[in-house]
Amino acid sequence: MSPTKSSFLQMVKFIKRDKMLLATAIAPILAGLAIKFGIPLIEKGLVSLTGAREVLVPYYGIFDILLAALTPVMIGFVVAMIMLEERDDHIDKYLFVTGLGRKGYFLSRIGLPAGFALLVTLILLPLFCITRLSIAEIALLAIVGTLQGILISLMVLTFSTNKLEGMAVTKLSSLIMMGCLIPFFVPTPLRYVFTFMPSYWTGAGIAEGNALLMLPGVGIAALWILILYKVKD
Amino acid sequence: MIQVENLTFSYTGEPFIEDMNFSVERGEIFGFLGPSGAGKSTLQKILLGMLPNYKGTALVNGTECKSADSTFYESIGVDFEYSTMYEKLTARENLVFFSSLYKRKVRPIDELLSKVGLERDGDKKVSDYSKGMKSRLNFIKALIHDPDILFLDEPTSGLDPANSRLMKDMILEEKSRGKTILLTTHNMQDATELCDRVAFIVGGRIFALDTPHNLIMSKGAAGVTYTWSENGEQTGHCDLNNLSEDATLMKLIAENRVTSIHSSEPTLNDIFIEITGRTLV
Repeated sequence: MSPTKSSFLQMVKFIKRDKMLLATAIAPILAGLAIKFGIPLIEKGLVSLTGAREVLVPYYGIFDILLAALTPVMIGFVVAMIMLEERDDHIDKYLFVTGLGRKGYFLSRIGLPAGFALLVTLILLPLFCITRLSIAEIALLAIVGTLQGILISLMVLTFSTNKLEGMAVTKLSSLIMMGCLIPFFVPTPLRYVFTFMPSYWTGAGIAEGNALLMLPGVGIAALWILILYKVKD
Repeated sequence: MIQVENLTFSYTGEPFIEDMNFSVERGEIFGFLGPSGAGKSTLQKILLGMLPNYKGTALVNGTECKSADSTFYESIGVDFEYSTMYEKLTARENLVFFSSLYKRKVRPIDELLSKVGLERDGDKKVSDYSKGMKSRLNFIKALIHDPDILFLDEPTSGLDPANSRLMKDMILEEKSRGKTILLTTHNMQDATELCDRVAFIVGGRIFALDTPHNLIMSKGAAGVTYTWSENGEQTGHCDLNNLSEDATLMKLIAENRVTSIHSSEPTLNDIFIEITGRTLV
């Protein structure tokens, strides 16, 4: 087995032992069920209460965007917590000087989990989405969501020195997901202030019904990842 | 095995390691001695490829340290001063995991645990280990892939005399197996006992580099103190290398009147203070 794969599996074992981290890792499935069955129920209730033809339906796309981001963000948080613990225990520095090396460490802690998150999102999103999404939309939502997960891991690792700070930074950094609300609620030209957020572009793509609008989000997320990786180095 | 030429490194604008030169032969135990902040850890980090922004040459096993990749670490074992174990895992689980990070054949875990007296504690969580047990476990973790070069940072720190002895014997055993060992320590007694050569480092510079014996002998011969009875206890002193020229002592020996005699060599610590003007603490 390669050192990178071994290190990744070690982390999976670690998650299984930690109930809090395990609960966080399975939260996207619960959230998916809640969105799939809960939101239409709430809509029904709101429609009968207000007498309007539809209340939440115009915004269903937002739930799908959040659903696409949820798995990578949760996995990104779990990974960041494990990496912070390894930093507290000086294990990361030790792993850098083993056959795993620095690159192998980041690949096993960030690269492989991100790949896993992408795969899970590609499975969960078509299952639990509440709008009709094209294959291109599903793929791009999953890719931007995954990059946001990596971004959150790196933000937590860059701006916190221990797990407690890490949790606080995670809450703050999770706000980057909220950019998807802007194209729905903020008028132009003010909305362009938020174009630095990758999630702005997923919101724009879904709001406009044009998947190509999500592409800048991929580039912007990749750029942020590169910057944070360099800063952290 | 290790060649360092004109090595300079800086964290800020000021040089922290300055124009350092030394080499370490295969099978040698080489000690870095110096007070905290002297540059020992920085030097170790450079040699481990953790600080690539240095100037000069730092070759370890033929590889320039700044270009170290994962194959570079296959032949290197590191024992940091602090524990680098997963506290929630058992000792055995830790060793199994760390051994899986290498492509080369690993040493039997039970054999290593038993060498440091942890054969009955292998299935205990590391969080339940004492500081000394963690030190011993950390040490065998560095040996698990049978590396050619060992970097040991204060390996006997926090150990009781018996375990310190055990650890030192294991270090000497590794040397006898042909391993090259770089030892970083404050402990002059360990350095004298273990090292073939030592370098005194202060302020990022090497002040002296030689065998512990040569360093000690270079600063004057050992003294001899003797006593005899004559209107109460009398004391005499002379240099060890001028023993036969001390007429009083010779006379006392001839008359079998010496009541006590002992030699006192300067220690490596005395030499360190004399050469660098600094203490090790």
